[in-house]
Amino acid sequence: MNNLPNTPQQIWQCQPVESIKMSTEALRQRSGKFERMFRWRNVREYVASLSAAMGFGYFFVTTHAVLFRIAYVLFIVGLGWVVYQLHRKGSARSMPAAMGTATCLQFFRAELERQRDVVKNVWPWYLAPLVPGFVILTVATIRTLPFPTSLASAAWIDGVAAVVFLLVWRMNRRAARRLQRIIDELYAAENSQ
Amino acid sequence: MIPAAAPTQDELYEDAASTYGAPLERLARAYETDPDIRRDLLQDIHVALWRSFESFDGRCSTRTWIYRVAHNVAASHVMRQRRTRSQALVGLEDEELENLPDATTGQHAADRSHALDRLLNLIQRLKPLDRHVILSYLEGLDAASIGEITGLSPGNVATKIHRIKTVLARQFQQRGSDDE
Repeated sequence: MNNLPNTPQQIWQCQPVESIKMSTEALRQRSGKFERMFRWRNVREYVASLSAAMGFGYFFVTTHAVLFRIAYVLFIVGLGWVVYQLHRKGSARSMPAAMGTATCLQFFRAELERQRDVVKNVWPWYLAPLVPGFVILTVATIRTLPFPTSLASAAWIDGVAAVVFLLVWRMNRRAARRLQRIIDELYAAENSQ
Repeated sequence: MIPAAAPTQDELYEDAASTYGAPLERLARAYETDPDIRRDLLQDIHVALWRSFESFDGRCSTRTWIYRVAHNVAASHVMRQRRTRSQALVGLEDEELENLPDATTGQHAADRSHALDRLLNLIQRLKPLDRHVILSYLEGLDAASIGEITGLSPGNVATKIHRIKTVLARQFQQRGSDDE
């Protein structure tokens, strides 16, 4: 038998709560913790990129072939550009101070549009900067190693790079389309009467 | 006559926390099932609220401001969590809503008849914007206030509330029959 005595609204509003309160001191501390957390996340991004750059730097120091050295420098520069763009477009953002000025719809849509813009076209800022390094690495491999090992090595390097690039591009395109569908739904919800 | 001084950021927060503490806790519960993460989310909401009062200019009511901040923090939380949780969210208009699996079965079989669990199960499967609407409705806000908070047109809010009422009636009636 259905013995529910209340409406869903009453059930919802009568649920027990813990009545958690935060002192202004606790708020200030947690707010400061946020800032430190975001700073650390950015530092971690830089350290990860620096580690990769140091790897290429090691190869640069230990090899004496000029073309290989140019390739490694290009990879370091390319990585630097990618990190800068990652930081500019999508790095961890501190909590916006004025969340109350935007309606839920505006806020949600703006967040989704920001994410979509990051993944919509990854070629110019994420993949293309690494291409010059791969091109010179291919030329260096063909010119340095004996035939046919040179061709096989170059084909292997470029083949793997091409597959990875294609996968990254397709995954991001798919993510952008999914985000766009949600954004379109939000526009439709805002404009419908 | 000396005009009354405008309330400070801390005073605005104190007032908001004492008046809306319980609704904010319920809101956090609707967005996060894990008690530890929920506690963090609730604290994040309080911090965001306190910080937001720094720029509160009275262009909307305090209530609208508080709910906007809380929902916006919670929506950001849902977006972050969705990257790690695969559960698909549904909209109020989706047919799927009629056939949502009952999360109160299985390990919580003993609580099957718990009305609040049923309600939470339903809310937690909704997309963020629809979740904002149903939560505001459950908190007893009228359509105009919900529109002001969410940014939806009054007509759209009315349609969604109508749909919410239908779904809630059907869910509770159906589950009630199941429990008999």
